Amino acid sequence: MKKPITVDFAKSFEELEKITQWFDSEEHLDLDKGLKQFERGLELASLLKQKLSEVENKVTEIKKKFESE
Amino acid sequence: MEPVILHVADYLSLLNEVLHDRVPSNEILIEGEVSDYRVAQQKWVSFDLKDEKAEAVLKCFATTWQITTPIEDGMRVHVKGFPKMYERFGTLKLNVQSIEPIGEGALKRAYDLLKKKLEAEGLFDVSRKRTLPRFPKKIGLITSRDAAAYGDFLRIVNNRWGGIEIDHAHVHVQGREAVGEILGAFRYFNMLPVEDRPDAIVLTRGGGGLEDLHAFNDEQVARAVYQSLIPVVVAVGHERDESLADYVADIRASTPSNAAERVVPSRADVKYELDMMMRHQEQQLQFVMDEYRTAADRMATKVGHILERERDRLLMMQTRLQDRAQSWLPALRDVIESSARLLRQVDPTRILARGYAIVRVGGAVVRDASELAVGRELAIQLGTGSLDAEVLRINGKGKQKLV
Repeated sequence: MKKPITVDFAKSFEELEKITQWFDSEEHLDLDKGLKQFERGLELASLLKQKLSEVENKVTEIKKKFESE
Repeated sequence: MEPVILHVADYLSLLNEVLHDRVPSNEILIEGEVSDYRVAQQKWVSFDLKDEKAEAVLKCFATTWQITTPIEDGMRVHVKGFPKMYERFGTLKLNVQSIEPIGEGALKRAYDLLKKKLEAEGLFDVSRKRTLPRFPKKIGLITSRDAAAYGDFLRIVNNRWGGIEIDHAHVHVQGREAVGEILGAFRYFNMLPVEDRPDAIVLTRGGGGLEDLHAFNDEQVARAVYQSLIPVVVAVGHERDESLADYVADIRASTPSNAAERVVPSRADVKYELDMMMRHQEQQLQFVMDEYRTAADRMATKVGHILERERDRLLMMQTRLQDRAQSWLPALRDVIESSARLLRQVDPTRILARGYAIVRVGGAVVRDASELAVGRELAIQLGTGSLDAEVLRINGKGKQKLV
């Protein structure tokens, strides 16, 4: 089994969305800042894609007899 | 045999003992039709259970807590309970433990009544429906591990997404134990510490008739879905099947597979989205870089122009300087030559050549004879060569000036 990457998918995805929005929201985009943001974006995207390649889901049977009280 | 004399109360309690000991109440379901159904003080329920054909009536007594499905006159039901003689009225009544409508007609009627009731209470309100997180980490699955729904759900989840945890609560999805177990599973998930709670609960089973779906149409289950702190997805059987749990659920999925599609995103969609986002960022960045490049080009051209102009200016100055120098030089040469001539004329050696001499004492030129003393050594420089001499006499001491 592939070793799971410890990345919070939801959080990282959200950060990437924010960065993408940032590119649209800047009135006059600062190239330096833009490159930094883009670099971070690439990093996130690659992490997320790695996470996407995870195939396994872990199914756990709850060891408990369910009854009404 | 001597007859035994008993008071009425004692006799009735004897009857009750026998009824309790000899009637296997737990193993009997009494089938009949409800009539004269009444509720007193919103608590006490009484009705008659009748046979349609034979004229037989059984008085029944219950509390509203025991009636989990709406009951109406004319419904065919199964009743479970124990018989008891009531001393004060001298009548036998069935103390009802549970009552269940039977037959599609009665079930449908009960279903409709309960649906109306829950709807009026606001359990189906769209405004209270919660959305699921787009990328769940953990899902609570309530279904039977023997149901096709279980396999369908997991297969589709695995096809679409990975790296999540699915906690499965195995319950019966039909039959007597179903309601209690489903309620227990809801309680289990909701009582977990917040950090261990799943992001969504999926309650699912395959399709079936009203009788099969009774647990999903149960009032308590509907309320458990309503009260769940965790958003609930309910999926029952095929597209056309509906259940009350469906209506209460935050998300109503049409089938177990559809439930999987509703709780996890698909890899392909997310990958496409990631690519789109990165492409967009790159384009935006490219756009800015192009802008900068154009600006830089424009600037370079401008700087080029300035440099060229400066170089021209420099060349012109150089030329002018050269021209100016051309006109200065002869004049400068004349000045230098006349100065040299002048210098040559005052050259002392030329005077010496004419017969003069320079007299020095201790290196200093002597201009006044009175400065000298007899016997001083003098150094005399002539036009050619020099000599040393001694002062013999000093004439006209301090009086005469020869020049």
